[in-house]
Amino acid sequence: MSLIGIDLCRRAVCRSARLKCLQTYGCFLHNLPMYSTGKCNTGWVNIRAPTSFNHSRLQVRRDLHVTHPTLAANLLSVEEIFQKKSLLDYLKKVETEYREYLNNVNTPDKEQVGEQDLKFKRERVARLTPLVEYIRNLELKQKECEETEALLSDEDPDIRELAEIDRRSCQEGILELRQKILSCLVPEEESDESNLVLEVTAGVGGQEAMLFTAEVFDMYQSFAAFHGWLFDTLEYAPSDIGGLRHATASISGPQSYMKMKFEGGVHRVQRVPRTEKQGRIHTSTMTVAVLPEPTEITFTINPKDLRIETKKASGAGGQHVNTTDSAVRIVHIPTGVVSECQQDRSQLRNKEKAMQVLRAKLYSLRLEEETSRRYQARKIQIGTKGRSEKIRTYNFSQDRITDHRIGKTLHDVKEFLLGEDLLEEMNHALKQFSHQEALMDILGENESDS
Amino acid sequence: MEVLSRLNRMRCAIRLLKGPERRQGLCSASGSAARPPVVRLSVQDATALWERQFRQSGVSEPSLSSQYIMAHVLGAKTMANLGPDVLTKTLTDMQTHQFWKLCAKRLTRMPVQYVIEEWDFRDLTLKMRPPVFIPRPETEELVGLVLEGLWPMQDSGISGLRCLEVGCGSGAISLSLLHALPQLRAVAVDRSAEAVRLTQENANRLGLQDRIEIHQLDVTVDAEVILRECSRVIALISNPPYLFSKDMTSLEPEIIRFEDPAALDGGEDGMLIIRHILALAPQLLTHNGLLYLEVDPRHPPMIQQCVQEERIAGLHYLQTRYDITDRPRFCVLQRRGTED
Repeated sequence: MSLIGIDLCRRAVCRSARLKCLQTYGCFLHNLPMYSTGKCNTGWVNIRAPTSFNHSRLQVRRDLHVTHPTLAANLLSVEEIFQKKSLLDYLKKVETEYREYLNNVNTPDKEQVGEQDLKFKRERVARLTPLVEYIRNLELKQKECEETEALLSDEDPDIRELAEIDRRSCQEGILELRQKILSCLVPEEESDESNLVLEVTAGVGGQEAMLFTAEVFDMYQSFAAFHGWLFDTLEYAPSDIGGLRHATASISGPQSYMKMKFEGGVHRVQRVPRTEKQGRIHTSTMTVAVLPEPTEITFTINPKDLRIETKKASGAGGQHVNTTDSAVRIVHIPTGVVSECQQDRSQLRNKEKAMQVLRAKLYSLRLEEETSRRYQARKIQIGTKGRSEKIRTYNFSQDRITDHRIGKTLHDVKEFLLGEDLLEEMNHALKQFSHQEALMDILGENESDS
Repeated sequence: MEVLSRLNRMRCAIRLLKGPERRQGLCSASGSAARPPVVRLSVQDATALWERQFRQSGVSEPSLSSQYIMAHVLGAKTMANLGPDVLTKTLTDMQTHQFWKLCAKRLTRMPVQYVIEEWDFRDLTLKMRPPVFIPRPETEELVGLVLEGLWPMQDSGISGLRCLEVGCGSGAISLSLLHALPQLRAVAVDRSAEAVRLTQENANRLGLQDRIEIHQLDVTVDAEVILRECSRVIALISNPPYLFSKDMTSLEPEIIRFEDPAALDGGEDGMLIIRHILALAPQLLTHNGLLYLEVDPRHPPMIQQCVQEERIAGLHYLQTRYDITDRPRFCVLQRRGTED
């Protein structure tokens, strides 16, 4: 078989596995954008036993990871999506499934179906109810719309006018319902509601990269203020000339992770650095990592695994010494992950902050591990995704910002770095594309298109 | 006026540029270091300059001292709280003057906390003033320990929660407890008038003055008054003077020159005040009330022995807790026995 042949074959299997998983478990894990790409090497091992996944425990991470530049290039409107046959088919299928299950649940034939099966069906019905309701409402609205349209050619001008008004409100209603349906199809990620730890690190480019890192950190600080999120600096390592080597901050507030997750990756800057004497343009990079912050319940650390270091380890301590050194360093012994904080004058506060960073680091490590264990074939992609992928370029001489994942370009770098409307605009576009990508995956559009 | 000062500065700068005088004018040792420089310096340079100065004069933690003082002058708590571009900014005359004045104080080995007149304790910023004892980081953990014990009581809805602190110093422990537990009331006593005044001041600044009573009382002398005024309380907390007298001579100049020795010296075996507290505790605490002590690492077995041998009626040694550096630092005792 040719390479292309193998690839096609894999994708076909991959798609059926995905659909099966979605139908039986309502699980969207298989519908991750990465899963359906031509680039990804979906291993056979995983496909054969999709049902063995621990669906309830698994944290799904759906970052935007563009694999379809063609798709990314054109964002479809709600109407366009609804013209797609696949969506209509899908909705019809959902409705049939709902009716069938509802029937089963209401008139249980104890002899034929087991208790387990019934329980599953009940859950499924509960989950589908709002969606089906919207679909039915949509049908009613569409019928209503058609009826009013018939009145548009009425002889009485008053009636025509009324019909026109009616039609407009009908159309608005339809659009609203369609949007609701689409957002029902793509469920929220579990971690969307969590807070996050933002980590910025200077990359290639020495002092210039550090200067740019400081600017990006400031940008996110303003972005947090713009949305009314709490922004708390946890670590901060400045360079001599006003740059920033490395910093972490905790960001919390409604939708903070949902928006910030699109910012993770390598950001590239092209400009004449302040440190450059001959006016040459340099290219430097910095890395942003966005780690969802685990709650106490979802993630615990054994205190015995921690080594807490303070500067006061020698001498008798207590009243014997007076120190102003309140820095705290925590090492997680099994993994060697370290976090440090000297942001505050209170040692206890520093310890709490260092702990917060450590938790986020360990948590994202575990998430990555868990995912890569399940998808060994995709290890390289997932393990480094969001860290090594170049996502955005800030070009000062052309005064533009380009996001490489969606090919979107905005102008006015200064304004963008203020972290307000322009960043929000870019972020919104990313969110829409991500949403659409997930949707297309559910509908299996990606395969049929390519 | 401004013109004049600028002219003066220029003249000085020219004079100083000529030779070795310049260096001397900027950072000559001890006596004249208090004189601010005549040329404008950046934040970074000024901080580095004083760090060198501190190091040469053998001041402990030279780098941190210089940075904390600079951060204070710039209106922040730590340098890390200021943006990255602040390092390259030029100090104003006022800032330079203030920085020099404060650093000169530090040069006399005055603790940074006294120099900038404030320090953080848990979530609070407290005013610090010599010779009132500067709270140590271990005491933050002591408060955490007390909170562990008091939270369930507050949650279970027991009304009229009251605690007593012996030797309140700047008020760190009592005020932190009040801050964390909105239903708690506190009584704080200290034998030093300065400490009582500072605790009151800190309480007022934090808006906690309505829930705290502060008395100038000495636990070794005014036992009766304390019993009359303060019993019974649900928790008794103390970070008493616990240094052995013989260790007092080996303390850093920061401590011995500026902090009240009475807040540190615990007698020959460091137990002088602790014994008094142990003796009073059964009469001060309610049934099942808790006594929390911060002590020297050598003390926990001594206290355990003391409670058992001298049979302090109704006092039961619960546990020894370790501090962040793994030293046995805290003792928890409980009053048991007859109901009130």
